[in-house]
Amino acid sequence: MVERAFVSFKGVVAGYGGGDVLKSVEFDVPQGGLTCIVGPNGSGKSTLLKTVSGLVTPRLGEIWFKGHNLVGKSPREILKLGVVQVPQNHSLFREMSVNENVELGAFLIKDKKVIAERMDRVRTMFPIVAQRANDKAGSLSGGQQRLVEFARCLMLEPDLVVLDEPSMGLDPKTLRLVFETIKMMNNEGRTVLLVEQNARQALKMSDFGVVLENGRVRLSGSGQEVLNNPEIGALYLGGSTGGPAAH
Amino acid sequence: MNATALIDAAKDGILTGSVYALMATGLTLIFGVMDIINVAQGILVILGAYLSYALSVHLGIDLFLGLLITIPSLFVVGVVIERAFIGRLKGPEKTAMSILVTYAVSLLIEGALNIIFTVNDVQLHASYVNKSFLIGGIHFSFIYVAGFVMAVILLSALYFMLYRTRFGVSVRASLADQTSAALVGIDVRRVSTICFGIGVAVTAAGGMVYGATNAFNASTSYDLISRLLTIIVLGGMGSLGGAMIAGVSMVFIGDMVGVLWSPVWSTMAYFVVLIIVLLLRPQGLFGKPIARVA
Repeated sequence: MVERAFVSFKGVVAGYGGGDVLKSVEFDVPQGGLTCIVGPNGSGKSTLLKTVSGLVTPRLGEIWFKGHNLVGKSPREILKLGVVQVPQNHSLFREMSVNENVELGAFLIKDKKVIAERMDRVRTMFPIVAQRANDKAGSLSGGQQRLVEFARCLMLEPDLVVLDEPSMGLDPKTLRLVFETIKMMNNEGRTVLLVEQNARQALKMSDFGVVLENGRVRLSGSGQEVLNNPEIGALYLGGSTGGPAAH
Repeated sequence: MNATALIDAAKDGILTGSVYALMATGLTLIFGVMDIINVAQGILVILGAYLSYALSVHLGIDLFLGLLITIPSLFVVGVVIERAFIGRLKGPEKTAMSILVTYAVSLLIEGALNIIFTVNDVQLHASYVNKSFLIGGIHFSFIYVAGFVMAVILLSALYFMLYRTRFGVSVRASLADQTSAALVGIDVRRVSTICFGIGVAVTAAGGMVYGATNAFNASTSYDLISRLLTIIVLGGMGSLGGAMIAGVSMVFIGDMVGVLWSPVWSTMAYFVVLIIVLLLRPQGLFGKPIARVA
């Protein structure tokens, strides 16, 4: 069930030294919801997610999560608060086995019994983890790697899952599976913050949508509202609204 | 030329090469985890040799026993250098800047060593340094065999650490991809500091064996660092296994060419092999073919 604001971006300004990419971003991510951020290339979507996970430290502004301001905290500290990010590029350690990779998701957990229980759980949710346990992660297909990344991110049982373009480079069948898995994570009660180029499809399954443009929020509302906005549809969703997914 | 000479060359190549491999492993570990090219590694080897010298001459401590003091000492030196200088390097120019910064550190240490120990050559002495024993008609120098055994033990310990411990997992993850490592909760900064410490600590052992088998002063470090850098380039920057194989290969190839052809061509032979390998595999024998994710 979608409830109050879970993450609040307040005047977030951030960049990489060559100028600000985010220019005072303000919006709330509701608790328990699936929030999708869309926008053109270079609008700051990935940078925004990096500010949540601590990979980029904002120059100005605050990001509030469960009573903590995430700005200035390290990725490790943010992870401990229950925020897990799956980055855009495949992030599995290619030379390590699938098992080792998934276990690394519980790097912050010391209790081996807890780790074993969670391993059992993700093996049930993601059969690929058991099927290819001893294979090197680099030998998996792109879609399989993405599912193992999801399995790894669930090892910490996070409250907030941050996903950066999870469908990138996937075939339509795998893409459907990845979207179903994202919905499953959300249905388990986890808040999901998603950046997705496949905007129409992502907005359809999202509770909330945010349109970023030139580092600022251009529009926010329910996923359906964003999808049906004629201007946004023309600019970012292939020229029509509410229709079938454009390829 | 006879078979004994060839066997001797091969034996020396493996025994001496293993010590170079140990020193180069420290260098490649630092590069692999941190993208730092530590050109101070040569002078740190010499610092290790001088520490052994000081303990031996002034306190009468045995060279091998002294390693119990010099290895932790150089670990601390490494940690201090990392915290004071290396950890401050950021951004895309980090690797290039690291060459300048570690060169500056190298000059500082060299200057200090010249003041303390003067520029005169010294060599480490112990009753066993010039002793040898005979196995199957082949002479084995005690110090080279002991250096080889020590290198094998330390490299095995390093491998155990990397593949059997939780810290090792965090090092291997950081070697592969620092961003992904940070996203699973690995404190990449801490891992980097400890790896720099370990990378420098192994120079204590390498320096002791080097100092017992060669006369040295602070400027000897220039020859050493050029050898160590070429070893990790041949093995593949960031590859621990590559550094070991290339370290042994460097001395082995040089010695074999010296026996089969002429000692004049010994050094050049290794570089010819290096150039051929780099033409065929620009990333070195075991280096990664694509740029690593920073």
